[in-house]
Amino acid sequence: MKTKFSGILTLLLAFVVQLTFAQGKTISGTVSDQSGMPLPGVNIIVKNTTNGTQTDFDGNYSITANVGDILVFSYVGLKTLERTVGTSNTINVTMEEDASVLEEVVVVGYSTFRKSEVTGSTVKLGSEKLTDVVVAPSVDQALQGKVAGLTVSSNSGTPGSTSQIRIRGISSITAGNEPLYVIDGVPMSNGNINTSGATSFFSNLAAFDSNNIESITVLKDASATAQYGARGSNGVILITTKSGKQGKTKFTFSSSYGVQNDAVDGPEPLTAAHRLELASEAYFNDGFFATKADAEAYLLGTSTYSSWDAAGRPEGNWKEVIKNKDAVVENYSLSASGGNENSSFYTQLGYTSQEGTVIGSSFERINGAINFSTNLTDNLKLTSNNQAAYTYQDAFLERSAYFEGARSAPFFLSPLYQPYNDDGTFNEFGGSLPNPLYITKYNINDNRLARIVSDSQLSWDLGNGLSLSSKFNVNYQVYNSRSYSNRNYGYGAATSGDAGQYTRNTVDYTFQNQLNYSFDLGENHSFDAMLLQEYSSNRRYFLGAYGENFADDGLFNLDSTGNPISINSNYTDFYLGAYLGTLHYSGFDGKYVLDLSYRYEGNSRFHPDERWGSFWSVGGAWNLHKENFISDVNWINNLKFRASYGVTGNANIGLNQYQSLFSYGVDYNGQGAQVVNTFGNNKLTWEKSNTLDLGIDFGLLDGSISGSVSYFNRKSSDLLLNVPLSLTTGFSSQVQNIGELTNKGFEVELNVDVVRSENFNLSIGGNIGTVDNEVTKLPLDPNGIERTITTTITRIETGHSVRAWYMPTWAGVNPTTGLEEYYINGVDGATTTDFNQAEAAWQGDNAVPTLTAGLNLHVDYKGFYLDANGYYAGGHKIYEGWHRYTNQTNAYPIFAFQGLQSLLDRWQQPGDIARNGKFTSAFTPWQRHSKYLYDGEFMRLRSLTIGYDFKDKLESIGLTNAQVYLRGNNLLTWVKDDNLKYDPEVDLGGQTGLETPPIKSISFGLTLNF
Amino acid sequence: MNKVFKLTTIMALSILLFNSCGTDDIEPTLAQDKPVEGSITSVGNLFSILKGAHSQLTSGGYYGQAMIITNEVRSDNCFSNGYSGRYSTQAEYAYNENTGYIWDNAYQVIANANIIINQPLDGLSGDLDHGEHIQGQALGLRALGHFDLLRSFGQQHTTGGNLGVPIITEFKDESNLFPARNTVDEVKAAIYADLEAAYSMMDTSYDSKLYFSKYAAKALESRVAIYFGDWIRARDAAKEVIDSNIYTIASAGSFVSNWTIDQAPNSIFELENSASDNAGIGGLAYIYRWPTFPATGYGDVQVVDDVYAFFEAGDVRRDILGYQLEATGATPSLRNMGKYPDTVTYTDNIPLIRIEEVVLNYAEALFEINNADPEALTQLNSITSNRGATPHVSVTKQIILDERRKELMFEGFRFDDLVRTGQSIDVLGSNQNLIQTLTYPNNLFAYPVPKAEIDANSNMVQNTGY
Repeated sequence: MKTKFSGILTLLLAFVVQLTFAQGKTISGTVSDQSGMPLPGVNIIVKNTTNGTQTDFDGNYSITANVGDILVFSYVGLKTLERTVGTSNTINVTMEEDASVLEEVVVVGYSTFRKSEVTGSTVKLGSEKLTDVVVAPSVDQALQGKVAGLTVSSNSGTPGSTSQIRIRGISSITAGNEPLYVIDGVPMSNGNINTSGATSFFSNLAAFDSNNIESITVLKDASATAQYGARGSNGVILITTKSGKQGKTKFTFSSSYGVQNDAVDGPEPLTAAHRLELASEAYFNDGFFATKADAEAYLLGTSTYSSWDAAGRPEGNWKEVIKNKDAVVENYSLSASGGNENSSFYTQLGYTSQEGTVIGSSFERINGAINFSTNLTDNLKLTSNNQAAYTYQDAFLERSAYFEGARSAPFFLSPLYQPYNDDGTFNEFGGSLPNPLYITKYNINDNRLARIVSDSQLSWDLGNGLSLSSKFNVNYQVYNSRSYSNRNYGYGAATSGDAGQYTRNTVDYTFQNQLNYSFDLGENHSFDAMLLQEYSSNRRYFLGAYGENFADDGLFNLDSTGNPISINSNYTDFYLGAYLGTLHYSGFDGKYVLDLSYRYEGNSRFHPDERWGSFWSVGGAWNLHKENFISDVNWINNLKFRASYGVTGNANIGLNQYQSLFSYGVDYNGQGAQVVNTFGNNKLTWEKSNTLDLGIDFGLLDGSISGSVSYFNRKSSDLLLNVPLSLTTGFSSQVQNIGELTNKGFEVELNVDVVRSENFNLSIGGNIGTVDNEVTKLPLDPNGIERTITTTITRIETGHSVRAWYMPTWAGVNPTTGLEEYYINGVDGATTTDFNQAEAAWQGDNAVPTLTAGLNLHVDYKGFYLDANGYYAGGHKIYEGWHRYTNQTNAYPIFAFQGLQSLLDRWQQPGDIARNGKFTSAFTPWQRHSKYLYDGEFMRLRSLTIGYDFKDKLESIGLTNAQVYLRGNNLLTWVKDDNLKYDPEVDLGGQTGLETPPIKSISFGLTLNF
Repeated sequence: MNKVFKLTTIMALSILLFNSCGTDDIEPTLAQDKPVEGSITSVGNLFSILKGAHSQLTSGGYYGQAMIITNEVRSDNCFSNGYSGRYSTQAEYAYNENTGYIWDNAYQVIANANIIINQPLDGLSGDLDHGEHIQGQALGLRALGHFDLLRSFGQQHTTGGNLGVPIITEFKDESNLFPARNTVDEVKAAIYADLEAAYSMMDTSYDSKLYFSKYAAKALESRVAIYFGDWIRARDAAKEVIDSNIYTIASAGSFVSNWTIDQAPNSIFELENSASDNAGIGGLAYIYRWPTFPATGYGDVQVVDDVYAFFEAGDVRRDILGYQLEATGATPSLRNMGKYPDTVTYTDNIPLIRIEEVVLNYAEALFEINNADPEALTQLNSITSNRGATPHVSVTKQIILDERRKELMFEGFRFDDLVRTGQSIDVLGSNQNLIQTLTYPNNLFAYPVPKAEIDANSNMVQNTGY
């Protein structure tokens, strides 16, 4: 029976085959992308015929063809494939990204263009590039090392903290240098929202889950940023959130779990035994005792030392006890996406929890998103993107040397004190620094934020290339912070405890109305024109109160305080209105591209007469590879020259600076009072930047080598400068439009696919950015003398970079006297031991790296893959903050506070060659000089990931794709300067501080698609 | 037809949308602040600014702490033990132009005082007599500010000649935004002129001890005159205060307790601190002593050991002193326990002028004018008789200075008394160890002008030695 059936079948098949030879046969199959996702809308034609079809929503197709015909599969942005029809009726294909054409679309300002038609300097990062840094919950950290000319430095390693980003250097001296964030087309402010200047930085950007971000585009040049007018000068970071894709609903679950520690161990503090030795030596040096032994005997007779001695000389190791070793970080996300012809959706739920590496600090976020779009009619489309998050940060006192801050303890608290009593309870010792373990356990500093960003847009396609859209965005934030000091121990004890509650509601509305018109003039000239009106109102409502005196423990709220001390509320607002017109021309299929933009913008920060400003840009591109004489050169796939020039602005100064103002925030004798608190300047207006950008984008050898080279020159003028005033005016400075500075540099991005094959791929990429910053003009005083802006360690003066290091120059320790010496003229020659006689001098560089680079490596073999990212920064210097108290041979490190072991290298007797002079028991004043200025150059292995991609191997259990990986962040750090013991990644102020240092982590992750 | 409809719709919508934002739509709200120009319409507004200026005096950078403490730690009364690192720079005379001092604070007070002084009263609503009184008070504060600047930065006790400080008499004076230094004599003359005008404009019916007052002007004039040795002016000014009979010398029984109450009978002008408005741990109480045992907080400013023996037994002023232990078994440290005593709520008012100082000013002036004037002894003993101290039988300059030291200890007078009488000063380290002795005159007796001023104003000349 069975044999018979087979025979019939064979016969039948032969007949069918015969039939198809004559009439053509039906070929069917599925087209999918590299990750196994079916691709809808792929064009399939039989080569050299008009016979064609498209794949459906599940990536399936069927087409009639003859054996020997060639099927051509094409899809925008993917490499076109050809398959010859053979005996099989099924042809499944996997399409790969086409690196040679890369016709991906790039969001540029308010418009979206094909990449080849972008005239400016932009870098687009897809979601896969944004999720490799787990050490920070906010996405800004992920940008480090991935965009040439962009530097990221975090304010603190405490989870939920902010980062400082600079794109192409410092464009302003006083006004803000932070780039503008644009989320789904709407500019919005992001940054630190902590109402306290003492406790941890708290970022509202951390309320966005990177899992929801489709891509980030960084706009660097004027042709793109001029569209953002007054806020574009510092560059623009465009964040596009994920949207639904047509097709059946797909789910993605991802999770990771990791442990974190400080990336760099940091300096070693002195031990108690060291303190005794050094204190004795100081007394001996000062002549109080005939021998060091006498001094030691005296010290051992004093109370603190004698009890320490009697207890068997235990060492209080504060550096270790304030660590939260192997701090846990975990991250979960579940998303679903799908849609049909008329509507699509994306929705997500995420949870992140991250402990800090310092006791008593952590961060938590729960967030959700729902993005959908639907065609209300044939030509009316509604899109709505909505994200909501609740974040919580357990913060602590870290932004200065707070005596109650856990991170102050290793550097300021004497190891003569023990953390614990013999019975294991906290040791409640006296002194100006209380036991941080007790404080951390019983005091409270926390921050909470609920943030909702809702963005709705109605688009009306009027036909004939005309469309109109209207967008409304709400950015609503409810912030609350709480402080509590216990009534038993520490600084709250004197007042029987204290508590504060502070809340700020932020309500930002943005309206955008946009009219687009696309038209062609003849066959070869196409135009996209756009008119836009934008209005944004930003309001802040603050309420806070503080009280003292609790009747009992365990009460934290103001209701329970016996003595209400202060109540505060305030309201601030600012507004912005703008009109924008852009014109995009593409000639001869994108061979020639021209962009024009003009923006007229008003900002409430300026006097009504100075409120409106004009910004514009011109950009052009020439796609050389589309020229006939190049298109034949087959190793050149892509070659574009681009240039742009334009004017952008900066208005990022405090509110209401243009008028002389009385503030009523003072009181006297229980009555309200007022003092003049703003000097005012009616003539204040926009700070402007003129930016020239030239570049070449290229793709060679079938796209295996691609990259770009750019040059930029940004000249900022009419700087909004806090011009120092004579203090006799009652003010220290006045904001004026004066001064000029330039930033120029080169940027190179390069990616090389060394090996490309089905089973093995190897690619190396990297970027380098340089920036040369120079102040070219500053105000003069009536005597014609330039009014430099000088601090104890920096100076702003023409001919130098902004805030270049400027301080007396250390000349070493005199081997005969043991005294530290300084060059009298600040440079060379004669020295002095009198610090006040030493002239300050330029020390070269400032705190901003002049050369930054990123390097990435990707290897995959069958399912296994390895990704590595490195970051380099150099050409800058870092100053050691707090050295007077911790790293100088005076009384602070050995009597009042605590010192570092680098002090052991000190002069003790004539002839000694030492880094530090002889110890003294005197409290020396702040003397900042070049000994504490270090070369900031460093390299860091930012991320290293090893993983396995199951692809479709798990389909049997219902998984379309799965990945597992092991990831390390900041595993290795190389620092050039041996004297720099702190982590080299400091904030852009350039001084080492007591904030939580950057973190290294090892995590395990899993992603499932089903 | 369809095309026409579409075009019309687009036109209509465009006009609607693109016409909806203008300059008025982006006008910011001034919710907490008001413009200086045009917002002063009543005498009440002037009073509000005056209160603001008083509030500025209470800041920790001025009379809330620095002005008083600095003049104590640089004298033979006190030293800094470096417990929290505060004031050791000043105590060891190790300051430089980056140290910073009251320069900015004093000129802020002067800026607000000038807004009051230069406001025409015509057209203001309210009690214009009170308005004139307020302008007198502002003149008094301006004089106080200039005097504090002069005694801190003037070159009168250095080798640096006759440089004083800039005299500022107008807020935001575009013609004087980069002032040069006036001479010591010019500043002194300006202070006297302001105080005389202040006295004549004020009316005692508006007086309060919590604000600069009519007799505060005279009392301050006597202080300034003593400082510069203008003895007749000092005598006359002090006499007017004493003869007003408004203020009474504290009795032996109330001397210590007066420091715990507000507006005591011996107080002429004091700065108000309340539970909700005070310098907190940045104030005087917290720096003079530890708030708890074992020691916590700051408590950097310790009293020199031999001060205790400076008072005779029975002198109630010795009761201001006390000993504190850092921890069990530690060496007791001598402390100011009685003046500005509140380390819990920090609500002690800060007396800036009290009658006893004026009496001592008067006695000294009388003695300097005629060292045989018996009234000098009488005035001096009006203090001792209220302190449980042995009356003096004769007067010498040293006796007067010693009496001033006992009476005014910890109140910020001692440094000025030492330098104005040309004495050397021993510099003590954190262990009360003698670091050096500074002979008179000395460049360290004047603070350096802050670097920020030098950098912003090329007309400014730095003090000699910095």
